Amino acid sequence: MLKTIFLTALTLAIAVGGGAGSVWLVVERDFEFGTVTIGNWTAYPKRGTPAADPYSKARFSREADLALGYAEGLVFTATRDASGALLRLECDYRVEGSLPPARFWTLSARNSDGGFIVPDGDRVPALHSYALVRQPDNTVATTVSRSPVPGNWLAVDGSGEFALVLTLYDTAVASSARIAEVELPQVLLEGCDG
Amino acid sequence: MAEPRTQRPFWSGLLHALALGLVGAGIVHIAILLMLPSYSERDAWSLLSRQANYYAVTRLDPPDTAPLIATLDPLFDAAACRFDLRDGTLHMTGRGDVPYWSISVYDRAGQNIFSLNDRSSTDGALDFVIATPAQMIDLRNALPADYDRAVFVEADVDEGIVVVRAFAPDESWEPTVTRYLASLDCISG
Repeated sequence: MLKTIFLTALTLAIAVGGGAGSVWLVVERDFEFGTVTIGNWTAYPKRGTPAADPYSKARFSREADLALGYAEGLVFTATRDASGALLRLECDYRVEGSLPPARFWTLSARNSDGGFIVPDGDRVPALHSYALVRQPDNTVATTVSRSPVPGNWLAVDGSGEFALVLTLYDTAVASSARIAEVELPQVLLEGCDG
Repeated sequence: MAEPRTQRPFWSGLLHALALGLVGAGIVHIAILLMLPSYSERDAWSLLSRQANYYAVTRLDPPDTAPLIATLDPLFDAAACRFDLRDGTLHMTGRGDVPYWSISVYDRAGQNIFSLNDRSSTDGALDFVIATPAQMIDLRNALPADYDRAVFVEADVDEGIVVVRAFAPDESWEPTVTRYLASLDCISG
């Protein structure tokens, strides 16, 4: 009798504990099916849409997020530079290269808590393609740094790891099946101060 | 003759319990995973319910405070309204001119079911109607006079959220964009 109770309790404990625990583990992780990776940049075109997988939906429901639709735009995030090292606010980076066709795009930085970095003073928290100095070959080069630099400058603040966020608006890339073929700028390390 | 159950060795019962537990864990895993979106209290819908009632247009990035939706582009301003199509179709209009605007319709779980931008509408004006397939048939039979310029969106949902995002290229655009978002009307009809 005691053995039966013990075995039943064990079965239930494994079922409930294991089931709930495994959901918690996968939902807390960053992994996502259907991720598009282009160089250093990743995008989740299906995230927050009915086409997303159940794991993505469960994770999304805990984030109070509203994702951009296909007609609105597509968000690319980079957390590593071209050499594979994590992006750090102590370092200066150069974002350089050409961008896929879009009506316009914005570039901003997000800190490790997920909030956008808004520097003090009159510095703008993001750059956009309508107000940029372009190279002679129509590519774009921007410096991401805590201290002012000539040319295009995305001002950041603070210390620690961060992520660059590139959002393309009104772009055919978002609804295209050939999304993995687009070219995005490289993120190159320029140097660190401390 | 079969051995009585109680005579089975303990390890066999233990293995049985472990195997049954693992199968159960799989079932619980799937059940929780599929139920999570409908029971979550941390989703966008719950967040907006605490801010404003149905059909009330709320800024997602109130001035001088942190934005409600953390992923909102810093160069964008956005406003949202919750609707329930069981009350009737939803008519959303806006007045003014901004460099770029886009609209998304989200279902109760915050999933993007439809989006459009200013290129999709007549002379860039924000004027659109969300209706269920059944309401759409009624609209086709007798189109109300104030719907004649609207873009029609068919959405098979009851409750949902509409979000209007407008691009503010720099600080000087802020008043214009704020006025634009304040002019939005979210009317059930």
